[in-house]
Parts: sequence; structure tokens; C-alpha cells
Amino acid sequence: MAETWMIATIWLGLALVATLLSIWFGIATALSEIVVGTVAQLLIGALIGGAVLGADVSWIKFLSGAGAIILTFLAGAELDPDVFKEKWKEAAAIGLAGFFAPFLGCAAVAFYILHWTPQASWLAGVALSTTSVAVVYAVMLEFGLNVTKYGKTILAACFINDLGTVLALGLIFAPFTIKTGTFVGTSVIVFALLPFITPRFFKRYGGRPSELEAKYLLLCLFGMGFLASWADSEAVLPAYLIGMVLAGTVGKDHMLIRRLRTLTFGLLTPFYFIRAGSFVSVAALIAAPVVFLILLAAKMATKFVAVYPVTRLFKREGKEGMYTTLLMSTGLTFGSISALFGLSHGIISTSQYSYLIATVVGSAVVPTLIANAFYLPRHLLEEPKEEAQESGAMSVKEAKLSSLNGKIEPASQ
Amino acid sequence: MNKLLVAYDGSKQSEKAFRQALELASKFSAKLVALSVVRPPEPAVAVELEAVLESATEHYQGLFKCLKELAESRGVDVRFEVRVGHPADQIVHMANEEKVDAIVMGHRGESFIQRWLLGSVAKRVLSYAHCTVVVVR
Repeated sequence: MAETWMIATIWLGLALVATLLSIWFGIATALSEIVVGTVAQLLIGALIGGAVLGADVSWIKFLSGAGAIILTFLAGAELDPDVFKEKWKEAAAIGLAGFFAPFLGCAAVAFYILHWTPQASWLAGVALSTTSVAVVYAVMLEFGLNVTKYGKTILAACFINDLGTVLALGLIFAPFTIKTGTFVGTSVIVFALLPFITPRFFKRYGGRPSELEAKYLLLCLFGMGFLASWADSEAVLPAYLIGMVLAGTVGKDHMLIRRLRTLTFGLLTPFYFIRAGSFVSVAALIAAPVVFLILLAAKMATKFVAVYPVTRLFKREGKEGMYTTLLMSTGLTFGSISALFGLSHGIISTSQYSYLIATVVGSAVVPTLIANAFYLPRHLLEEPKEEAQESGAMSVKEAKLSSLNGKIEPASQ
Repeated sequence: MNKLLVAYDGSKQSEKAFRQALELASKFSAKLVALSVVRPPEPAVAVELEAVLESATEHYQGLFKCLKELAESRGVDVRFEVRVGHPADQIVHMANEEKVDAIVMGHRGESFIQRWLLGSVAKRVLSYAHCTVVVVR
């Protein structure tokens, strides 16, 4: 047991260091944890031995997997069902373009230029097809576009894009046996029933210190995660979909979401992101940095080709459309989940995993840096009066933090 | 001078800036707008962003209560706002929107990385603002 506590101490120590770095540098905790995981593995591996970190110990794997599942559930629960219902047709066009172009383009680049195996190439396509809803949402808030039709459509499109990524990850590599059929059939029934059963169950038994709600949700997530893994699919697929179908009910229970976040950020996701970082081979990245650059260029170019014309169709001004496009190039959570799935299922090698993680991190950071350098702050100053009134930079005073779901909504919407 | 904008981030420097702004507003009988900006982490990541926005908004709203009492004791009419984005952009943008006569802000020593990622807030405001900028040290 002493060894378990020692490993736990090391991991929580690394998590604390990563959190401090994220505070000092103003960067995302996930990004910081991936980098800390990579550096820690490098240093500990060189000084003491790679096994000390224990990234493949079963309980670390469990905490890491649980982190990915609950994080994905919470990401799905952030969906605004009303916006989605209102704008799903336009959102589907942009979201599917934003998914298929990088998915097919990056897979083609990996296969024809980098000469990866077909399976590894598909995985590269999946990992690089993601879009960060959070980055786009942050920019929408900054521009005040989250209350406009354009902003709502783009946000809904990001969910469609990520849904495409999760579905591709969960189904492309599945063997399509009777197990797959059982998983898909059960999923359809569970996803249809949960929105009806859950709120009634919570109303009858919830609101007690025994945290029945958290236990119920974890039961659903772990149960469906087990079914997915049993069918050789990916556990985050049902988690994301459960989050989406419960977004209108559980997603609006602000206090419950907060408690789940505490559990997730405080204990689980550090294990997930540090573990994801610990498998990165710095030696492989140094040996062939061109591979990383090719994948990064492929990801950004394919997103650009797919999304920029669509933003122009919505008659957005050039810079704004470009800015949105750059930000649609970004993805961190689902990118790393896809890459880790590939590594743990033997679809990609450690080197290929390292290139994909580096590309995912690069694609999260580079577009933001470019956008900050070239497209701010003039876009705010040059905005025409009418446009400014339509979009109106999001003010939290003008808006209300909904006491039910914690989502920022305009008071006059 | 009819209207002033003061940037407030909860630091000691911004508190000094707020007091300076109160003094100016009291002297010129001007209205005062206090702005706090929530900066999302770079890059924003799912779930964490929502948590950061909520936590920062609650934090600032708590601090505003003390500032409001201070302003009332000086007889200054002050309005508080929290916005999301790059601090410099939002300060300049709001100054334009509100047509303020001056921006009052503190000067914080950002780290090299923060300056590289975002640039100095005071420097960017000085570069882009269309009105007088008072940087309190």
C-alpha cells in the first residue's frame, strides 16, 4: 500500500505544479498538465526510471479513464438545447464541414505523405478533426456574438463537429460484431429514456447530502462506458451523448454541475492529462519535427478550407470570419482522448502518438497566438455602430448567470 | 470631465487606481464606470472555461460591494460591469462605447510569458485608447 500512496503523492504533486504553472502563465490547466506529464516522464525516466511514475498501474488508468468520461459528459451537458433546436440545419452544415474536411484531409496526409498504416491514418483524421467549443464560446463572449444568430449557429456547429469526432472514434475502430449491435441498441434505449427518468428520479430522491445525483450519473456513465469498452468501442462516446441528452435537465442543475466539476478538476482530470502527456516521446519529436509540422499544417489548412467559405456565406466581415476560422482550428480535450485511445488500442505507435499530441497542443496554441497578434484589438474598434449594437460585447451586468444552469444568457433574450 | 472609466482587477494597484478615479470623479462631479475583465485561460478548454467565468464573476461581484460602499461615502455615482475577453481590448472597447473622457488604470507587472501571450495591458490601452489614459503606479 505504501507504493500506492507514494505514486499518488507524486501524481498529486505534479497536478499541483501544473495548476500553479497554469495560474502563473494564464494558460489552460489541461495544457499545463499535458506538458508537466511529458516533462515529468522525461526527467523521472532519465533520473530514476520510467516505471516510478506508474502511468500503466491499473488504478491510475481507472482515475484517468473516469476523468475523461466525466469531463466529456460535462462538455456534452454544456450544450444549449434551445439554440441547438433552433439552428440545427445551419449548424449541421458548418459542423459537418468542420469535421469531415480535417478528418478526411488529415487522414489522407497521414496515409499518402507520412505513409502511416490505414488504421493509424484514420485515427490521425479523428484526432485532428476536433473543434474546441470552449475557445469558440470564449471568442463569442468577447465579440458579444453569443447572442446573435451567427454566434449561436457557430456554437451549435462546434457541438456537431465534436459529435462527429466522438462518433467516428467510437465506431470506426469497432469490429461490428454482435457486441457492437448490443452496445448501439442499448445506447439508443438509454439515451431515449434518460431525459425522462432522470429529472423525475432526482425530484423524488435528490437534494440530499448523500449525493444521490452524482452516484446515479456515475452509474450511468460507468455502465455505458463498460458496454462501450466491452464492444471494443470508446467509453467517451456514450458519455458525450449522455451529456447532450441531459443538457436540458441535469445540465441546468447548477449546483450539481459544480460538484461534479470539483470532483473532476480536483482529482480525476489531472490523472488523465498528466498520463496523456507522460506517453509523449520527446526524442521522437526531436528526431522528426517535420511530421508534427505537416500534421499541424494539414489540420489548419483543412479547417480553413472547410469553414472560412461558410463563415463568408453568413456575410461576416473578413477579419471576423478569419478569426472564427482560426479558432475553429483548435481542439485539445477530444484530440488527446482520440490519440490516447489509438495508443492504448495499439492502433498507433508511441512516436505517432507523440506527433498527434504535439499537433493537438500546437493546434490549440498556434491559432490563438496568431489571432491575438493580428486580429486584436482593432476588430472591436473598427466595428460599425449598427453591428456593435447588434452584437454588443457581452456584459455580465447586462446578462444574467442563470441560477439554474450557470450558462451566461442575455437578460433580454 | 463627465465620465470616467476605471479598470479594476482586484489587485492593490487597481485599488489605488479606483481611489484615484474616485478622487477625480468627486472633483469633476463626473460619473464613474468600474470595469473588471474575466480573462479565459489560453486556450479555453471545455468545462474549465465555464467554471472560470462563474468563479471570476462571483469573485468580482463580492469585491464590488466594498467598492460601492467606498464610492457612496465619497458621494460618487459608480456603475460596475464585468466583461469577458482580453483586458486591454475590453477596456478600450468599453471606453469607446461609453464615450468616457478618461481611463484610469493601475500598472501591473505581468510575467514575460503573459506579456508575450497577451502584451502589456497598460501599453495596449495607451496605444489604442481614443481618450486620456491615467496609469497609476
